[in-house]
Amino acid sequence: MSHDHEHTEKRPHDMGGDEAGPVDTVDHGMKFWEKQANALRYTLTSRKLVRLDELRRAAEDLGERYYKLEYFERTTEALRTVLLEKGMFTEVELEAKIAEVRKRHGAL
Amino acid sequence: MARFEAGGAVRVKRAFPRGHCRTPYYIRGKQGVIERVCGAFPNPEELAYGFDGEPKRVLYRVRFPQSEVWPDYSGPRQDLIELEIYEHWLEPA
Amino acid sequence: MSGPTSEYEIMSRAMQELLEEKGVITAEQVRRRMEQFDEEFPARGSRVIAHAWADPAFRKRLLEDGKAACAEWGLDLEAERLIAVENTPEVHNVIVCTLCSCYPRALLGMPPTWYKSENYRKRVVREPRAVLKEFGTVLPGHVTVRVHDSNADMRYVVVPMRPACTDGWSEEQLAEILTRDTLVGVTLPQARAP
Repeated sequence: MSHDHEHTEKRPHDMGGDEAGPVDTVDHGMKFWEKQANALRYTLTSRKLVRLDELRRAAEDLGERYYKLEYFERTTEALRTVLLEKGMFTEVELEAKIAEVRKRHGAL
Repeated sequence: MARFEAGGAVRVKRAFPRGHCRTPYYIRGKQGVIERVCGAFPNPEELAYGFDGEPKRVLYRVRFPQSEVWPDYSGPRQDLIELEIYEHWLEPA
Repeated sequence: MSGPTSEYEIMSRAMQELLEEKGVITAEQVRRRMEQFDEEFPARGSRVIAHAWADPAFRKRLLEDGKAACAEWGLDLEAERLIAVENTPEVHNVIVCTLCSCYPRALLGMPPTWYKSENYRKRVVREPRAVLKEFGTVLPGHVTVRVHDSNADMRYVVVPMRPACTDGWSEEQLAEILTRDTLVGVTLPQARAP
């Protein structure tokens, strides 16, 4: 990286120009839940219930976790953050619903 | 009223806000030319935090030679990169 | 569907169900969006660009104002503003969003996994020719490679050069060779005689 302002913190999402390996040029598509998560996102933004800018900001604020999560994991975390900020539901309500959904899926 | 017009020489400010912005790190401090005026849009740096982003800010497409952006650019000298930069990130070059 | 249900799938479904219960959205709205992304959006780009190839006046309008030209043709790009960039014998365009994954979704559907990948986002702005080579696209040195980083409010689509041997082809035939990858600029349309 040949930036002459290296001393100033650059955040993980701001990655243009960084060194990286070859591109996996195959399109691996989307799983069903990812398509649904994407549709949820756009249902909310098109009704202006959340803004894309808020979702981007929340994803960027993931910091080091940014690279540990996959694309739709990041967008889901970001959506959770913004919906909680807006009071669309509380953390208590969300945790309860997560437990219910988890039970239904038989997952641990 | 747009401050710059197509063809004008501009430089991207070397600014380092802590929060959300749409000016990538790699283009800060670089000099380019206005390719077009895109129009005025609510400021994403404020929209990101729940504000309405008004008054709108003028957005420009700015064209840069790749050799200006990357000192070690290995392609031909005429290669270009173009980004959208908000007016408050630009100063005359 | 394969593998155990991930924590994020559970979180996403939970959020959706809560919002439905609270009357913020309906299941039908989400379902309709999924259909649009799966069935409507992906076919649009090829048809619009094929029409631009076939109709020089439309092509001119598309290059001047992408969204208005699409609207006139019956395509509502919703909130997206579109800039169509044309390839010429001297210029080759390629699109990226280094900061996230902005993409003309209402015109092309969902971006491919490679477009959203770290390696593409990191490298295509800095070494576009090397990245294009990984897609099998090699450009001569006299051609200008013009990278567009969709970093703010505009969205981009490439108008590739029309292969000479497609003379007399119908718009349907033209649309078939205008694959998604050609409209993002990582490959060139491949024409075989029909």
